[in-house]
Amino acid sequence: MSAEAKPLPPPVPFLRAAKAVFDLSLEEMVWSRKSLVMAGLLLLPVALALLFRLVADLKHAPAGIDLYGLVVAMYYLRNALPLASLFFATALIADEVEGRTITYLLSRPVSRASILCGKFAAYVVTGLTLTLPGIVASFFLLVPIRGFAGLAAFVPDLLRDLGVAALALCAYGALFALLGVLLKRPTIPGLVFLIGWESLANLPGWLPRYTVTAWVRSLVRHRPVDEGLAELFQTTLPTGEAIAVLVAITILGLAGAYGIFSRKQFVLDQ
Amino acid sequence: MTRSRLVVTASFAAVGLGVAVALGALVLDPARAAVGPMPGEGLALPSGTRFVVGIDVARFTSSPMYQKHAAKADLTPEAFAELEEKTGLRPDRDIDQILIAGAPPAADGPARGAVLVFGRFDRYKLSRAIEADGEKKNVSWKTIDGYTVYVFGEGRAKGRPGALAFLDDDTLVLGPQATVEEVIANRNGGGKGLAENAELVRLLGTVRPGSTFWMVGDQTLLSRMPNNVPSPMGGGQMSLPALKSLVVTGDLDPEMALHATGEARDEAAARQLADVVRGMTALIQLQGGQNPALQSLATAFSVNHEGAKVHVNARLPYELLDQLKAMGAQRKAAPPAEPIQ
Repeated sequence: MSAEAKPLPPPVPFLRAAKAVFDLSLEEMVWSRKSLVMAGLLLLPVALALLFRLVADLKHAPAGIDLYGLVVAMYYLRNALPLASLFFATALIADEVEGRTITYLLSRPVSRASILCGKFAAYVVTGLTLTLPGIVASFFLLVPIRGFAGLAAFVPDLLRDLGVAALALCAYGALFALLGVLLKRPTIPGLVFLIGWESLANLPGWLPRYTVTAWVRSLVRHRPVDEGLAELFQTTLPTGEAIAVLVAITILGLAGAYGIFSRKQFVLDQ
Repeated sequence: MTRSRLVVTASFAAVGLGVAVALGALVLDPARAAVGPMPGEGLALPSGTRFVVGIDVARFTSSPMYQKHAAKADLTPEAFAELEEKTGLRPDRDIDQILIAGAPPAADGPARGAVLVFGRFDRYKLSRAIEADGEKKNVSWKTIDGYTVYVFGEGRAKGRPGALAFLDDDTLVLGPQATVEEVIANRNGGGKGLAENAELVRLLGTVRPGSTFWMVGDQTLLSRMPNNVPSPMGGGQMSLPALKSLVVTGDLDPEMALHATGEARDEAAARQLADVVRGMTALIQLQGGQNPALQSLATAFSVNHEGAKVHVNARLPYELLDQLKAMGAQRKAAPPAEPIQ
């Protein structure tokens, strides 16, 4: 006599499922060793700015907005943010596979789309939590080094930088989430992308348009003096186009990641 | 609340607080009536103004460049003592900002312009000093709309009379008499002044405040600039695309830093202009060879274009300027090369 099969529970609605995955992932992401390292990386300019204010001769220091521009354009947007995105976003699914916990997620009555969206939302919130305070603190530590007069004039720059950082987190995150579901070990190819491919942004002609960084750099008003090829061929792309491209990268990256994740069979190593 | 949520909430609260403080500064900024770095009083300048230059005197006088050249040019506090004694004014201490506004001369007419000086003036002492020199320097004075206007050289055969007037205790206007009177009329609401010049006001709005000096110029001014420059390769001229506007900002401390933004007629013209500047810096780099000063000069510039705008950034350390000056002096001193037979 065969036992009667239990009927499958109805699937949890998308938003409820995504929120549950978001809550779970946020807990894992924010309070982790990886976040601690990334927090160190993303808050490093604040420590350096503090040190600068304490040690440097502020009377003969460069203009505060130039230093802040250097921090945002050179440190955050070109290096720290893409790197943080790489380490967080490639691990969205890969960590679950590596930890063999993906089974628990996939055996629940939740759609794969809600898993991906919940995890991506948790990544974005974690990224913003670690990045934005650093940018705001750098602004208040560096811009008024010669006094608070004129600070107001640079407030639009701060708001713009915060928006660009959020957009960059989303675009890089979606791209690396795609890489994370596509490859088993995505970190090295991701680093190669950041160090190799993104350098095309320093070349002349249309090549910068094939990178993410050129679009991100074009959105901020800071244009620090570069060196080498970057100095010779600095390209600034139109703002409207840059926003559209970064939004498109985010949507396409997430759609691609979902396309692969929804069809992928996960065979766990025994 | 879980500890992760606590971290997220604390972080977002800190960012929210920072943004609120920044927005508060933006809303409560006393200089909001100003246009870019120009104080509100600058809007009384004539509407026909084609360029405006601003100098932050406090930043200028504290720069290494001023400190270095002040002694040579007799601009030390001791040198100002006599002037201070007579007028109560010590320029390096009492003047905060200078605005120079002008326009190219109309068809056979003289150049037009006015200078606004912001600072702290001893009006009584300064007026007395001017009046005391009245006869000697052909100074007369009259009252226009409640303002005392000092006119220099009225009735002289050659040149136009100049004038000076206090707009208030902290603002002084100088220039040709007609322009000074126009500024007074604009200030009293008799004319719209610079606010009527939408293009220049737009350009002023794009200037980054906080610079030691800045300049904006519109198409009228730039149309008088040469369209051809000698080719750096020698033996010919290179044509430059015309600029619609030019905005320059600069700092002198701790090094000379310049940022120029030129607006060309379209993106192609901007690219051409950017390529010309890049070509020049590349040539300097090639010609520099083993010369570290020329190599440094070439790398001190960066150029990029953004739509129809061309941005040129330069950072020139004073050591580099000294080296270039020494090179120039050496070149002048060297005998001219013998022509090859």
